Amino acid sequence: MSKTQVADIDRSIYDFTKSEAGYERYADGLTPDIVRAISKKKDEPEWMLDKRLEALETYQRLVMPKNWGPDISGLDMNHISTYVSPKTKQAKNWDDVPEDIKDTFERLGIPQAERESLAGVGAQYDSEIVYHNMREEMAKQGVVYTTIEDALHSDYEPIVKRYFGKLIPTDDHKFAALHYAVWSGGSFVYVPAGVKLSYPLQSYFRLNAQGAGQFEHTLIVTEDDTDLHFIEGCSAPKYYAANLHAGAVEIYVGNHAHMRYSTIENWSKNMYNLNTKRVTVGDDSKMEWVSGSFGSHVSYLYPTSIMAGDRSSVEFTGITFAGQNQDLDTGCKVVLQGSGTTASVETKSISKDGGINTFRSSVVIGKHADNARATVSCQSLMLDDISRSDTIPAMDVRNKSAQVGHEATIGRISDDTILYLMSRGCTEEEARTMVVNGFANPVSKELPLEYAVEMNNLIKLEMEGAIG
Amino acid sequence: MSEHKIKKGTIATKTASRSTIAHINVPPSQTWNYLRVNDISFDVPTPDAKGKVFAAVPRLFDAIETGGGTPLAHWIAEASGDGNYVEVPRFTSKGNPIVIEVGPGAASNTAIMVREGATANIVVVATAHEQEIPEASTPSDTSAALTRIFVEKNAHVKLTEVVATDESTQHLENVGIHVEDGATVDVRQYALGGSKVAYGIAVDLAGERSRFNLVMRYHVSGTSTLDVNHLCRQQGPHTRAEIYASGVLADSAHKALRETIDLVHGGKDSKGNEAETVLVTGDDVVNKTLPVILCDEEDVQGNHGATIGSISQEQLDYLATRGLSEQAAESLFVRAIFDDAIINAPESLSRNAAVARASLVLGSDVSHDLVEGLGIELTDERSAHAAQEREA
Amino acid sequence: MSDNTNKPLLSIRKLSAGTESKPILHDIDLDVFSGETHVLMGPNGAGKSTLGHVIMGDPVYKISHGSICFDGADITAEAADKRSLAGIFLSYQAPVEVPGVPLYSFLRTITQMRPELKTTARKFRTRVGEICEQLDMDQGFLTRELNVGFSGGEKKKVEMLQLLLLQPKLAILDETDSGLDVDALSVVSRGIEAYRKDCDGALLMITHNTRILERLDVDSTHVMVKGHLVAKGPASMIDDIDKNGFGQFEALLDKSEAANQGGEDA
Repeated sequence: MSKTQVADIDRSIYDFTKSEAGYERYADGLTPDIVRAISKKKDEPEWMLDKRLEALETYQRLVMPKNWGPDISGLDMNHISTYVSPKTKQAKNWDDVPEDIKDTFERLGIPQAERESLAGVGAQYDSEIVYHNMREEMAKQGVVYTTIEDALHSDYEPIVKRYFGKLIPTDDHKFAALHYAVWSGGSFVYVPAGVKLSYPLQSYFRLNAQGAGQFEHTLIVTEDDTDLHFIEGCSAPKYYAANLHAGAVEIYVGNHAHMRYSTIENWSKNMYNLNTKRVTVGDDSKMEWVSGSFGSHVSYLYPTSIMAGDRSSVEFTGITFAGQNQDLDTGCKVVLQGSGTTASVETKSISKDGGINTFRSSVVIGKHADNARATVSCQSLMLDDISRSDTIPAMDVRNKSAQVGHEATIGRISDDTILYLMSRGCTEEEARTMVVNGFANPVSKELPLEYAVEMNNLIKLEMEGAIG
Repeated sequence: MSEHKIKKGTIATKTASRSTIAHINVPPSQTWNYLRVNDISFDVPTPDAKGKVFAAVPRLFDAIETGGGTPLAHWIAEASGDGNYVEVPRFTSKGNPIVIEVGPGAASNTAIMVREGATANIVVVATAHEQEIPEASTPSDTSAALTRIFVEKNAHVKLTEVVATDESTQHLENVGIHVEDGATVDVRQYALGGSKVAYGIAVDLAGERSRFNLVMRYHVSGTSTLDVNHLCRQQGPHTRAEIYASGVLADSAHKALRETIDLVHGGKDSKGNEAETVLVTGDDVVNKTLPVILCDEEDVQGNHGATIGSISQEQLDYLATRGLSEQAAESLFVRAIFDDAIINAPESLSRNAAVARASLVLGSDVSHDLVEGLGIELTDERSAHAAQEREA
Repeated sequence: MSDNTNKPLLSIRKLSAGTESKPILHDIDLDVFSGETHVLMGPNGAGKSTLGHVIMGDPVYKISHGSICFDGADITAEAADKRSLAGIFLSYQAPVEVPGVPLYSFLRTITQMRPELKTTARKFRTRVGEICEQLDMDQGFLTRELNVGFSGGEKKKVEMLQLLLLQPKLAILDETDSGLDVDALSVVSRGIEAYRKDCDGALLMITHNTRILERLDVDSTHVMVKGHLVAKGPASMIDDIDKNGFGQFEALLDKSEAANQGGEDA
């Protein structure tokens, strides 16, 4: 696969000076002027700027909850603007990239140019052949796959305006508000009615300019009778020195449609990952989430599905692997509003080397969700006695014909299983890796083959403790 | 068999002032606040305890964690006046139940020390009003019981809680139990009525090989609220915990059930199971569940299962072959809760309270049916008289 | 012993039935008169249990063709609970556990809803006591939760207890598993004896094990193979099956299927 070099990132967008007026109120450095500068550089419509400014106010007002969730005191909230500035967000050159990141690239066999790009030191690239062929196919069918910034300057601006920011409210939580104030980069996908894509769209091939992996906003809109599979991320770790990721994904699914959103998130182990993903689904449609969470120091990640229409279903399959120095609070939320809606959640958690894994979910069944069905199954595997695994599922059911089943188990790999595998020639480490891969199988089998292979490799590396 | 009855106090007589106890039934790990399932608050009479000195219970009981939480425990202690301390001597198993009874307007604070190898049978009963229906926002609209138990090694405790108040009363039921090596605790909880009821229990399986079994049955109807917090900390190695809650929610009932099994580091080879089944028959029911497993230790097993909604198809089919339509099956499930309470009530006060409540909910024909059918004696004159009338 | 009125108590005509995915019973014709004892035998997987469940009205099975009449009424479309009230009883091979429901409450509820059995609690208790004696059952069962944690033998006792309490007109006893369990065997025998003595009801015994039939006065024996009733005969047929197995009946089916090859309606 040949790669082409694309123009260097224009980093000057973030070279701004501190604001004068009302400085005290913005002691953390994130002022309306900065927000205005971002908007101006992108040449955004007025409504987008208004949204940013409103979000900034909301951000100042909101506080993070004190009674639950991983500790984020490592984030320098007093200098939040530094997270926004690209000068500090990425390494200056290859030497500055941490050794363990470089090691992982090596072990995963990532080509050098890609490594540099992932680490943010090289220029952006995209994979020419695959990506450009994709573009031609899509253009024929009327599918749009571009950046939101580009979409705002195209005929699709009204669609963006109609959907952007309407699903995840600005005040969803403090970092959603921050996101809306400073978002940058991300994909806009539009699938017109009747179009069924026979291949997945992969965001990996669109590592965008503006180096804005941290605050990217993905907006996907599919009309009736469509079929789309969108794959985000990859197993290779993404490294940022300014270690905050507050992204957002909004997905709108029409009627009689099928949507699958697959992710492998592997942020570098210094990252604070507060990611917000949400989908709303029409009638008679099917939504699938496949999610593998491996990296980051702290994660808050709960893809949310709102089954607004009738007779639609959502399936969530996920795995979270928390190793040394990681505190991952992940899960999902499901809201069943329409009648005949169903939800099926299957998650796996693995905790190792002092890692902390919290499965946090909610299933809310509304008053009018007649005959709604939800099943949640959550299994946690403890690989040693210094790690943690907590399961905190909540259910709120308000319709008497709804049925909800829930089961959770926590335990360890049984000695019998290890013994059995060793008696067949495996070393103890191989045996444990095999069991863990088997444990992860329900997730990996939902991924396209190359991602499944990558995920298995990641697990192998994690098990070896090779990843720092 | 004589019973050991515990003194109770009157919550407040003079003042009409009220206060709010916030953060009742808080689980150790909470969820998103917007779900409003992390705790409950109660509006209660303010005890007129100023300037009075009351008998306190031994300090060590203050260190026992309760399911309802510290703010609630403080309020109940204040509202109860004198605390009660009971000791069950080593290796005794008299079988006399220790009976704690509270009616509307009363509160009780009891600390029980169960010495090594002893067997203790403890009953907590919250009864409904006798004659007058208490007015809302007066001190007699509330009853409360705080019960803390220290179980020494190899002792065995059986605790039965029967909350059989009616829609005019709210009740706060708060229990904390500390369990040492080899000791076992069996608890049966019945939530049969009350306008707003908080049921909290926290059990610390500190000792190795200690065990905790909890069965809760509830029936919530009308516009009543039931709020429950079950917590078991499995600290010692080789401990076992089984928590099972089942009930029926009718009309516009509100219920929140939190169950937490905490597999603490060091508790090797511990196993904890929690399960819940709920039958919803009402159109405006709000049913919240937060079943949590916390795990800090590798060599353990934690399991949770919940089934919410209706009777399983398999059970329905079996019952149909015996002549029960789905509606009749639902009625059977409701009746079963009260029958179960009557069967398991260890003594007459709790039994009478369950029968009285069953009469209100199911009608006195059905409520006395079990009693007569199984030949159980009711010492309550009214019931015996009513029974005679039916035979005639 | 058998009450030969003109019309059969149970009358099945050309009945075909199965699950959503699989047809099991084909073209069944069967008559049982009041007070008679019929035995239904056949090799494993023949569909014998299915027939019992279909007569009872188990919603797992769908009738694709044919009819069932009971006590003068067409019950083909009736739900199971209505059939139970009409006087049909099916004893389960694997009685379902119903946690939280004391056995007493259950028994009381199912008897009180039948006008002919409605009685006071005291009298009910006496009756239950009598039955428990007949079945050698401890009355402590009454406060235990229905079937929860019961051994196989104990579950059988509970089924027999219900049989004797409800006094159905037709009892269908599905005992294909019981041959393996000595405990269960003796319980069922006791139950049947008491049933014949107290109620003189009709009995359809489903089994492939002949031992349980040794003490029964059998009016008719039926053989089912692959969902078809291939033979009907007197009690002596049982001895024949005991000695020779089902081979000859399987052959019968093959022959008749071959004869029907081509151009037959399903």
